Amino acid sequence: MTEKKTKIVAFLCNWCSYGAADLAGVSRMQYPADVRVIRIPCSGRMSPKFILSAFREGADGVWVSG
Amino acid sequence: MSLAGEKKYKEALEVIYRNLPLPGTIGRVCPHPCEDACRREQVESAISICTLKRFIADQVDPSELDAPVIIPRDERVAIVGAGPAGLTAAAYLARAGVKTTIFEALPAAGGMLKVGIPDYRLPPAILEKEVGYITDTLGVEIQYNKALGKDFTIDSLMEDGFKSVYLAIGCHKGMALGLAGEESEGVLSGVKLLKDVALGDFKELSGHVVIIGGGDVAIDAARTALRIGADKVSILYRRTEAEMPARDEEIEDALEEGVEMEFLTAPKEVISKDGKTVGIKCFRMELGEPDASGRRRPVPVENSDFVIDTDYIIPAIGQKTDASCIDVKSGVELNKWGDLAVDSVTFETSRKGVFAGGDAETGASIAINAVAAGNEAGVSILRYLDGDDLAAGREPVEYAQKDFNKIPDKAEKIKRESMARLPMEQRLAGFDEVELGFTEEQALTEANKCLNCMVCCECYECVKACGAGALTLESHFEKPSTETFTAGSVILSPGFAAFDPSGLDNYQYANHPNVMTAMEFERILSASGPTQGHLTRFSDHKEPKKIAWFQCVGSRDMNRCDHKYCSSVCCMYALKEAVIAKEHAGDDLECTIFYMDMRTHGKDFERYYNRAKELGIRFVRSRVHTVNPVMDSDDLNVRYVNEMGGMESEEFDMIVLSVGLEITPEVVDLAGRLDIELTEGNFAKTTSFAPVETSRKGIFVSGAFQGPKDIPQAVVDSSAAAAEAGAMLASARDTMTKTAEVIPETNVVGERPRIGVFVCKCGSNIAGTVDVESVRDYAATLPYVEYCTDSLYTCSQDTQDSMSQLIKEHNLNRIVVAACTPKTHEPLFQETLINAGLNKYLFEMTNIRNHASWVHKDSPELATEKSKDLVRMAVSKVGLMEPLKEAELTVNQTAMVIGGGIAGITSAKNLADQGYEVHLIEKDSKLGGQANNLYKTYQEEDIQEGLSELVTSVETNERVHLHLDTTLDDVEGFVGNFKSTLTANGKNETIDHGVAVIATGATGLKPKEYCYGEDPRILTSLELDRKFIDKDASIKEANAAVFIQCVGSRDNDRPYCSRVCCTHSIDNALELKTLNPEMDVYILYRDIRTYGEREYKYQKAREAGVIFIRYSLDNKPVVSIGEEHLSVTVTDHVLGVPLEIETDLLTLATAIVPNKDETLANFFKVPLNEDGFFVERHAKLGPSEFATDGVFLCGLAHYPKPVDEAIAHGQAAASRAVTLLARETVKMSGNVANVDPMACSSCGVCVSICPYSAPSFALEGRFAGTAEINPVLCKGCGLCVASCRSGALHLKGFDTNQIFAQIFALDEAV
Repeated sequence: MTEKKTKIVAFLCNWCSYGAADLAGVSRMQYPADVRVIRIPCSGRMSPKFILSAFREGADGVWVSG
Repeated sequence: MSLAGEKKYKEALEVIYRNLPLPGTIGRVCPHPCEDACRREQVESAISICTLKRFIADQVDPSELDAPVIIPRDERVAIVGAGPAGLTAAAYLARAGVKTTIFEALPAAGGMLKVGIPDYRLPPAILEKEVGYITDTLGVEIQYNKALGKDFTIDSLMEDGFKSVYLAIGCHKGMALGLAGEESEGVLSGVKLLKDVALGDFKELSGHVVIIGGGDVAIDAARTALRIGADKVSILYRRTEAEMPARDEEIEDALEEGVEMEFLTAPKEVISKDGKTVGIKCFRMELGEPDASGRRRPVPVENSDFVIDTDYIIPAIGQKTDASCIDVKSGVELNKWGDLAVDSVTFETSRKGVFAGGDAETGASIAINAVAAGNEAGVSILRYLDGDDLAAGREPVEYAQKDFNKIPDKAEKIKRESMARLPMEQRLAGFDEVELGFTEEQALTEANKCLNCMVCCECYECVKACGAGALTLESHFEKPSTETFTAGSVILSPGFAAFDPSGLDNYQYANHPNVMTAMEFERILSASGPTQGHLTRFSDHKEPKKIAWFQCVGSRDMNRCDHKYCSSVCCMYALKEAVIAKEHAGDDLECTIFYMDMRTHGKDFERYYNRAKELGIRFVRSRVHTVNPVMDSDDLNVRYVNEMGGMESEEFDMIVLSVGLEITPEVVDLAGRLDIELTEGNFAKTTSFAPVETSRKGIFVSGAFQGPKDIPQAVVDSSAAAAEAGAMLASARDTMTKTAEVIPETNVVGERPRIGVFVCKCGSNIAGTVDVESVRDYAATLPYVEYCTDSLYTCSQDTQDSMSQLIKEHNLNRIVVAACTPKTHEPLFQETLINAGLNKYLFEMTNIRNHASWVHKDSPELATEKSKDLVRMAVSKVGLMEPLKEAELTVNQTAMVIGGGIAGITSAKNLADQGYEVHLIEKDSKLGGQANNLYKTYQEEDIQEGLSELVTSVETNERVHLHLDTTLDDVEGFVGNFKSTLTANGKNETIDHGVAVIATGATGLKPKEYCYGEDPRILTSLELDRKFIDKDASIKEANAAVFIQCVGSRDNDRPYCSRVCCTHSIDNALELKTLNPEMDVYILYRDIRTYGEREYKYQKAREAGVIFIRYSLDNKPVVSIGEEHLSVTVTDHVLGVPLEIETDLLTLATAIVPNKDETLANFFKVPLNEDGFFVERHAKLGPSEFATDGVFLCGLAHYPKPVDEAIAHGQAAASRAVTLLARETVKMSGNVANVDPMACSSCGVCVSICPYSAPSFALEGRFAGTAEINPVLCKGCGLCVASCRSGALHLKGFDTNQIFAQIFALDEAV
């Protein structure tokens, strides 16, 4: 684990990346607990405003995947 | 025994208590007839069951047992007698909640256990403790010094309100000798002596005591007499020691303690002086002929009288029931022995509601029989109270010997343990217990000798362990039952069993832990398997570096397993396992597959095979013949013959046997009962034109019982079987349906959010890592949260019911479930919301399993913290959720089938048979497609004949509207409401339909190689078929014929297998051999892929003399056209030299090439793969439909397939289509975009950007010119919302403020 806790916000498309995150769990892959997932219906739903506000709320990184 | 062996004494005692409330007592006094039944006897000697029970009872105080759950009842039952029968019946009834009172004539409980068994055998404290459990824990009342006939009668009990009476009065009256002088002082019966001593009424005696009798009472009386002061004790017994009925241990103890025994001696007269006994006159006996009991009858010896001087004479020759307490008028009758007469099964006396048992019914017997009688009486009395049939189902059960576990051949002989005993010098001084019980070590040795005969020891620890309550005492006891249903049609899908390779000694499966079946290896690879997905071998948990797969274990093998067929799926699963194993273990794992033919004939399977080769998986074409363990290691040596015929030897860490599929004997038996025919391989017999119909009309088949097959084919078949059953039952459609009750939706608009949070433990899946209670408690602190709870499985039915209840109770209007993934479970919880009267969109699910507990296993604190964050984010969002409406669409109940080939015709026929109008579109002037060119199926059915029947059936069906010579020019609309434009003979026609089935087929490749087109003797497979159909005489003139396989298939241009060609060429080769047996027929192949029972044809061809020569892709055969003959040169793998074959006929088994119809794909927005075949919704689970709603797929347009599979696919597509057509309306998702027209600037970005054409400009009304969304077309992706520069667009369920709420909730510290 990293010493300093980072906070990463992941905007995941319901149809692919969200399912992939589910699959990572099913496969018991282990990764740091710093990611917080927000499910979106499609990466097309992503607005720059979401990214900016995530940073404003203190996110160290934003991950958009779809 | 099992529990005792694991030192679980408390649990063991609970098991014993179920049937025996007096284990410490019985464990001391019982002559243990149960041990006679113990099969350990066959190893060395029976297990000391009795003493083990005593040991268990001595370890645990019964008051420490978990208090039983007792549901009280109102009825009262009276029991007369507190002996073992009475106490057991009382305990049984008390557990069932019945108020039970025991009336006991004596001042103490226990009956004969108390007053018949001396204290040195059964210390009073033990009995008192166990009686205490019955009275104090179970709540049985005992009234002492209350005798039947004196203090009360049966009638008075009934009058007092007791519903039933149990008479367990025992057998306490000592039998008299019937001798002169018996009334003298100093003569008293054995039972009376024991009773008076036990109750403290008789303290001492002295002088010489003579006991008469040979039973336990005689011995007990003798040993008791010694302990209360007798100087000398003699037992007179009329037979010899061998005939004595007393326990051997007791006789031994008595002799050790100094009791003298006079055998073959009988009393004649009591000699008294002044009324006081002074002696006994006896005579000698000798043994004569055996009597009815098999014992030799003693006969008096004449003139053998003699006198023994004695002070006491104790007759102990038996007891009888003292029935004087039973009033003749009570209606309770006696039997001819003077005991109480009862029904042998129910223990009911001649008076209704009055039961009897124990010694009073049997005459003097052993205590455990009385316990058994008490339990039986308990059952009867409960049934009597419930008004049930007393006798039903209580006949004695015969346990068949075959059900027992086999006794291991190598069971070690272990000497039976015996208890330590009180030293002699301490014995006679008082009544201290003589037998001291087992030490723990002895007990464990004995307990662990148990052979576990019945497999399940019925300890019910599993019931206690199942937190979900799925396993209950009731379900544990479930037995098969027979029920009768009326059905119009039956579908059989009993599946298969994996072949058991234990019998194949050469593969060492049964002996070596590192040889496993592929099914077992699947578990090793699985994250939920025994190694949690970590690839290790069984013997030493080492990570293997070299694994070998052996193909065709239990398939394609007549000699060792009697399965001639190919199991179809094993090549592909072995490839998959090898690839996944490499993914798990990394590149240094060597995977080798030993195979005969690599059969990757399914869609995209050949590509997978190629990929496996690229990954470095090694393929060895050989059938391994021996595996031997390597000395001093856990590795295995494999010996096999290589392709050149040389013997090779190689070592592996692990071996996986790719076991085949087989039909179990139970299924064969079922087929017999249903009277359906089976094939040679025991699969259900079907025909190519009715591929899912068994030989019995109305019975259909799907899955592996129809033939060995993989998942997509099984899914196709099951849909097809449903379609065929549906066609039969079309007239009954909608006649027996149940309508779900519609619960009115509560209006929550404008209400303050009242959020309910449900946190799931998912067994230990979540709770094993995440601290669920603290997440729940944290959720309670969040704003607007009204109610929080956690549950073991939130998705279980009982939790759903309680959730629905809680929503109503707490008036909740928003729900958050923190559990697993919404992708699988959201609909389930939404259903619960609907049932609770809430709009289903007032819901948010957050995934604390896949995204927290499973992926942060090693950091439970961080996983818990993350779960709290996720719950907080979900709560923030759900507060902003609004009830949404779902657009409802009317379904046009008409279908359109595009393509009039065999699959399309079948699909149209089935849809019409199921009662729907169908438009069948064919671009040609004739129906039938490729089937018009085919000769015979592999089952040798005439295809032209079958096809013409099929064509006639649709031509004459008034629901099928044929459109020949017709093309599809345009398609508009969406599921339920398509509008298609057809063109025929230059004329346009528009058709409205609700669904579309794409069955556009494929064609045979016209090759550019092998001199095709340069000589009339060079044909494609279809052209050869045409010659067969036309009965072309020139064919049989040929002296030789050659087939070349994989022409245009499995190469760089078309990296797929065309599936049908191997079987097709073999069929045609056999046809040629039939026409002209002298003809030399050669098949040049790469792998023969005669999957399933097609394999028989391959065998038949070899038997018929067809010559198979393998070639490789980099060294293809070369064809040249000679003057007289064609010449084909091929390099044989075994010989390694080119071989030239002269032939008169060359058939090219050419690839099946899809039409790659991109226009059609665009019309219906359905995808094509890189080969040009259509891409189905799901490769395994959705093979007959598209991801696009309302569009279905069948036939060659999906992938090459033979006639039977094309027909099943056509039926399957119809079946899937009917799931939509059968509904009058469909509901669309509520998660769609909408426009705030006041904010819309009419820029048109949304209109241009939407891939589904959902937004458009409003043409009329107040907001004409601004954007509007057609909710039916909208897929809810939110692209328009993100692109709207005016903020006029909103996405319901994922609106900007809702996503912001989640983002803002990130910040708060937990």
